[in-house]
Amino acid sequence: MTALRYGLRALGLALFVAVVFYVPFRISDFRASEFALIGVYFIAILGLNILTGYTGAISLGHGAFMAIGAYTTAILVADHGMKDLWTIPIAGLVAAAAGFAFGLPALRLSGPYLALATFGIAVATPIVIKKFDGFTGGSGGINLFEAEGITGLPEFIVTLPGGHQLSFNDWLYYLTWTIALVLFVVAWGIHHSRLGRSLRAIRDNELAAAASGVWLASHKTLAFTLSAFYAGVAGALLAISAFSVQPGAFPVERSIALLVGLAVGGLGSLAPLVAGAAFLVFLPQWAQDISKAPGVPSVIYGGVLILLMMVLPSGFGGLIRRLTGPLTSRLYRRS
Amino acid sequence: MRFLGVFLLSLFVAVGAASARPSADPGLSSNEIVIGGTVPLSGIAASYASVGRGAEAYFKYVNARGGVNGRKITYKFLDDQYNPAQTVQATRELVQQERVFAIFNSLGTEHNLAVRSYLNAAKVPQLFVGSGATTFGRDYRRYPQTIGFLPSYVGEGKVYARHILKTKPTAKIAVLYQNDDYGKDLLNGFKAGLGAKRRNIVAEQSYDPLSTDVSSQMARLKGSGAKVLMVIATPPFTIRGLVAANRLGWRPQVYVNQVGSATNIMRIVSTTAGPRIIQNAITLISVKDPTSPRFRRDKGMALYRTIMKRYLPRADVNDGFHVYSMAVAYTFVDALKKAGRNPSRASVLRAVAKLDIRSNPFLLPGVRVKTSATDHFPLDQGQLQRWSKNQWNPLGPVLSAKP
Repeated sequence: MTALRYGLRALGLALFVAVVFYVPFRISDFRASEFALIGVYFIAILGLNILTGYTGAISLGHGAFMAIGAYTTAILVADHGMKDLWTIPIAGLVAAAAGFAFGLPALRLSGPYLALATFGIAVATPIVIKKFDGFTGGSGGINLFEAEGITGLPEFIVTLPGGHQLSFNDWLYYLTWTIALVLFVVAWGIHHSRLGRSLRAIRDNELAAAASGVWLASHKTLAFTLSAFYAGVAGALLAISAFSVQPGAFPVERSIALLVGLAVGGLGSLAPLVAGAAFLVFLPQWAQDISKAPGVPSVIYGGVLILLMMVLPSGFGGLIRRLTGPLTSRLYRRS
Repeated sequence: MRFLGVFLLSLFVAVGAASARPSADPGLSSNEIVIGGTVPLSGIAASYASVGRGAEAYFKYVNARGGVNGRKITYKFLDDQYNPAQTVQATRELVQQERVFAIFNSLGTEHNLAVRSYLNAAKVPQLFVGSGATTFGRDYRRYPQTIGFLPSYVGEGKVYARHILKTKPTAKIAVLYQNDDYGKDLLNGFKAGLGAKRRNIVAEQSYDPLSTDVSSQMARLKGSGAKVLMVIATPPFTIRGLVAANRLGWRPQVYVNQVGSATNIMRIVSTTAGPRIIQNAITLISVKDPTSPRFRRDKGMALYRTIMKRYLPRADVNDGFHVYSMAVAYTFVDALKKAGRNPSRASVLRAVAKLDIRSNPFLLPGVRVKTSATDHFPLDQGQLQRWSKNQWNPLGPVLSAKP
């Protein structure tokens, strides 16, 4: 039975990889940069999912961890002449350290109180960044376009080791999605591991989880740390794709958007979170295409969101489970 | 994908060959020129959307009268939510997807800084940046594709300083400023203008643009005993700051920077706090005020109202940003005319560095738009105004606001 289940999952993953690889051949060069952005959001949402989807702790402050990742990359590239690729794991680790540091005091808070505390960091982030302007470039931020470290700039052509050339946008796309796929598999691994089960037990009932031997403190802190790592990596990629960072790039709305993407994708699901990420990138544009009249795009955005949550209360993940559930459960039973 | 690489390469080759074959630039055909830009249409700064809409309305008016040399101007402005990361994404969309001829009238200091190196590397003109940050006019040698429009903040600060030196040379001065590039730029100009008298500044307080309250700053400024208050703030903070000053019972001579001094803003202060706090307040203005009775019979403003009625019937005709953006659009049309029958990016850039418009209908009488090979500040003049009888009234002649 498990063999079939794993076989199906491997097939699904292979299909996912194939689609991801194939997409740039079908879309325009600029669209590739938009799809790269979907990958960035996908990574951040995957991270938020570990915290909010599994552990049940709502974070309204993940934009702050993205900012930490983005600034780590920007400072390393601009001031220390590091190559952009190497800064990505470092950005993740720095953000993870921040997540760990924040996770410790946050342990005492739960539910709406934790949400408020995280909201606090989201609000404070741009202001704190500006405070240390010698380090962060203040409100104007750091421009990476003229720094040496960003691959493919300023010609917008990336030459791979084999001599094959890619446009900058295609390169961004493959870079982002390769990292996204790796982190996706890691998230999947967590989901199906003892750790994932423990985290979900905490979400469902803390007391029962503790009674069954789950150490709440270490698990919650770990969830925060992992989740911030993902956000940090996403932030690093955002800095590379925008070849600049500014405090204005990380307003409170960014943090809230991540939560929206997670809800649209489906709390606790994995692959369907791509839909949430795509929603974040494309819906605002689509709303603008309909009308640019004052306020109308925001109203369309809000309206679609309300409608979606009414029709799909558990997001796209819930929809897929509902559609495929009867089929796959029967398959497993027969085998 | 390889095709895309070739496509991109050919784009750069096309740009490189622009001087040889003028009609080869993107966004240009025999009957159309496509330009683009970013403006916040949603989010905290959505009120700046008029800066896009007014220019669009003016181009529609020009197009209805045959366009420029038979070409209609299509102006695509995208929402960046006042988030520089979105500005980068939207600008890349305009350049790479929409293949615009130039980026025009994009709004915001950080936002334009975020795309400046990119546009200069891609050789896409970045015209009439919607920011008064001095760097956009000053650093043209390093960024030849970029030119600003607004009077530089440094120049504006110097004008206030000179007026204070002339009228109140010994008065103690307090300054409220926004803690970002814009606020610091203007404050620096103000201090440079005061020269040795900068020690008259007895208190400086900054606020963060994401905060909501400035009353503690105002209390500290009042505590300094200053008799002159310089307000370097955007509209919401100008209102909050002046209302707070009034509540404290402070009666300084107020100077308000151009960014926050629109008539409708002053009237909000007046109705919330009473007229006394801004009685005799002073500001520098370059653009005609749509609410002023002075321009009731003015030809330029008549044109403005006609265009508003025809192309933006539901928008607020008293919103000064509409006038401002038509002034920018008028300047672009003028440059395009001067760039020749078959303009190119290079010829448009040459034209914007040779502007000499004495009568832009949307600017104050006497304000001249002039640039040269070494002067990349198109609008560097303005007229001081004094607030009385619920409106701005001109105070003295048109002044130079050179940085």
